[in-house]
Amino acid sequence: MLLQATTTTAHNIGGPGTAYLPVMVFFVFAVAFPVMPLILGRFLRPWKYGKDKMRPYECGIDPETGAHDRFTVRYYIVAMLFLIFDVETIFLLPWAIIFMGKDFSFTLFALIEMLIFIGILVVGYYYAWRKGALEWA
Amino acid sequence: MSLIALQATNPDINLTLIAPELIIGIAGVLVMMIDAFARRGQRWLTGGLSIVALIAAGGASIWLGAGWRGARSAFNGMIVLDDLRLSFTLIFVVVSILTILIAAAWIDIEKLPAGEFHALLLFATCGMMLMASAGDLVIVFLGLEILSIATYVMAGFRRTDVRSNESSLKYFILGSFASAFLLYGIALIYGATATATLPGTTNIATIAGRLNHSLYPPLLLAGAAMLLVGFGFKIATAPFHVWTPDVYEGAPTPVTAFMAAGPKAAGFASFMRVFVFGFPIATAAASTAGYTHKSWLGTLAIMAALTMSVGNIVAIVQNNVKRMLAYSSIAHAGYALVGFVAAGAATDAEQRSAALTSVAFYLLTYAVMNMGAFAIVTLIARGNDRRTAVEDYNGIGFLSPVLAFSLSLFLLSLLGMPLTAGFMGKVMVFTTAVRQGYLWLVVIGVLNTAVSAYYYLRLIIVMFFRERNTPWDAPRLPVSVALALVITIAGVFYLGLFPGRVLNAFGAHPSISLSIR
Repeated sequence: MLLQATTTTAHNIGGPGTAYLPVMVFFVFAVAFPVMPLILGRFLRPWKYGKDKMRPYECGIDPETGAHDRFTVRYYIVAMLFLIFDVETIFLLPWAIIFMGKDFSFTLFALIEMLIFIGILVVGYYYAWRKGALEWA
Repeated sequence: MSLIALQATNPDINLTLIAPELIIGIAGVLVMMIDAFARRGQRWLTGGLSIVALIAAGGASIWLGAGWRGARSAFNGMIVLDDLRLSFTLIFVVVSILTILIAAAWIDIEKLPAGEFHALLLFATCGMMLMASAGDLVIVFLGLEILSIATYVMAGFRRTDVRSNESSLKYFILGSFASAFLLYGIALIYGATATATLPGTTNIATIAGRLNHSLYPPLLLAGAAMLLVGFGFKIATAPFHVWTPDVYEGAPTPVTAFMAAGPKAAGFASFMRVFVFGFPIATAAASTAGYTHKSWLGTLAIMAALTMSVGNIVAIVQNNVKRMLAYSSIAHAGYALVGFVAAGAATDAEQRSAALTSVAFYLLTYAVMNMGAFAIVTLIARGNDRRTAVEDYNGIGFLSPVLAFSLSLFLLSLLGMPLTAGFMGKVMVFTTAVRQGYLWLVVIGVLNTAVSAYYYLRLIIVMFFRERNTPWDAPRLPVSVALALVITIAGVFYLGLFPGRVLNAFGAHPSISLSIR
C-alpha cells in the first residue's frame, strides 16, 4: 500500500532549496524583527542615567543584596515539579482529541489509560512530598 | 468489558505483547511507593520485590516465546515481538538481577537509599526492554531516554563523592549529545522517507521499503550517519568511546558493572534492529538502498576494527582496575560489532538470524563474566571505592583465595580461554563473520585477543605472584554477592561448555522485518 503510491519524482515537489524558501524568509524576518527595534532605539532614545536608574529591578522592592548571592536549591526542585505537571497538561490535550474516537469504542479504554497516567503522576507527586521536596524551612 | 474486547479497538493495543515492560514498570512504581512508606532498615523489601518482578518479566518473555505464533507487532508497528527482542530481554533480566545482588552489599556499606536505587534500576531495565522491542525509531528514542536518565542518576548515586558527581555529569552531557545526534538522525530519516503523497515515517520496516523512493537520498544518508554516531556513542565504539573510561571509573562499582553490561546490550539491540532491518542489504547495489547499505556496513566494519584495537591497546597501560575493565568493555563492544557486521552483510534470512543470535549470545556471555568480575572489584574496593588500583591487588591470591580464584576465572573468560563462556562467544561471532567473508576483521579480532592477554594475565600475576607490602584484611563475603558469584561462575561454565540450549533458544525463530499490518 505504501510502496505503490511512491513513484513521484523530485521535480514535482522541487528541490530542498526552493521547498525551504519560505522557511528562509521566515528566518530572516525572525532575526530582523527583534534586532531592528534595538538598533532604532539606540538612535531614538534619550541618554539619561542616574544611580536609581542603574539599580537592578526586583519587583519594585529595593534590592537588599547583590545579584551574585547564593540562593537555595529549592527553587530548582519547585521548577522541576512544575515542569512535570506542565507536561502532564500537554499530554492531556492530544488525549482529549482522540478521546471519543469515531464510534465511542475507544472511550472507556482511553479513560482508564488516562486515569493510570494521572495515577502515576500522583504517585510521583506524593513521593516528592514524602521525601520532603516541598518543605521549605 | 474484558481485556480482549479492549484489544479489538482501533489503536492496535496488545497488552500481552508488552507484558515484560509492563511488569517492570509497575514494579518500579511500587518500589518507589514502598520506599516512601517503609521505615528505615527494610532494604531487603525493595530489593526482593525488584528481583521477583525481574524474574516475572523474564518468565513473561519466555512465555511469549513459548506460545510462538510467528513474529508479531502491536501498537501499529511500534512494538515488535521476535527472537532478537526476546533474547535481549532475557539478557537485561540477568544483568539487572545480578546488579541488585552485587549492589546489596555496597548499599549497606555506604548507607545509601536502597529503594531509590532499586526503583531507578527497574526504570532503566524497562527502558532497555523498550529499546529491544521497538519497531519504531520513536520508541527506540523513548526507551533510550528512560534508560539514560535513570543511569545518569545512578552514576552519581554517591552524592558526597566528587568522582561520582564528575562521572554523572560527564555521562549526562555526553549522553545528551548522543541523544541529540540520534534525534536529529531520526528527524532527517523522517524527512527523507516522505513522498509526494505520504508523510515521512519512523517505522523501521517501512523505512526499508521506502529507501528507493526517497526524494532526496543525501538526506537519507545524513540521517543514517547521525543514527550511527548516536548509537556509536551509546555502545562506546572507537571514535566515540572517549567518555567511557572516565564515567566507568567514577561511577559506583555496581553501577559500572550495570552500565558495561546492560545499556551496552540495549544499545546493540536497537542499533542492530535499526540498521539490519531499517537499511537492509539490497538486491540492486546501484540503488539508493544498496548505496546506503554499503556505506553503513563499510563504516561499521572499520569502526569494529578500530574499537577492538583501541580498547585493547589502551587497556594495557591502565593502572586502575575499573579503568582497565572499562577499556576491556570497549574492546568487547568491538568483538560484538564483528558479529553485527556479519549480520548486516548476510544475504539470506537464516544466516542473518544466525549472526544476530551470535551477537546476542556474545553479549550474554560478556554480561555474565563482566558482572562476576565487577562483583569482586566491588568487594575489594570497599566503601567509597578506595582500593581500585592494580597495586591494591598485590599478593591477595592466597590471602583471599575465593575472591582471587573467581576473579581469575572471570579474567580468563574475558580473555577467551577455551571451556569458558568468553571463548564460546568469540567463536560464535568470529564464525559468522568468516562465513560472510570478513576474514580480515576476524584476523584483527584474534590478534587483539592476543594483545588482551597481557592485561588480563597481568592482574592474575599481580594477585598470585607479587609480594604484598601493605596489610590485607580480607573483605567479608556477603550472602547476596556470594549468590551472584555462584550464578556467574555457573554461567561462565554452562555457556562455555553447553552453549547449545541457549543458542537454540535465542535463534529458534529467524528474526524478520515486520511491516505494519
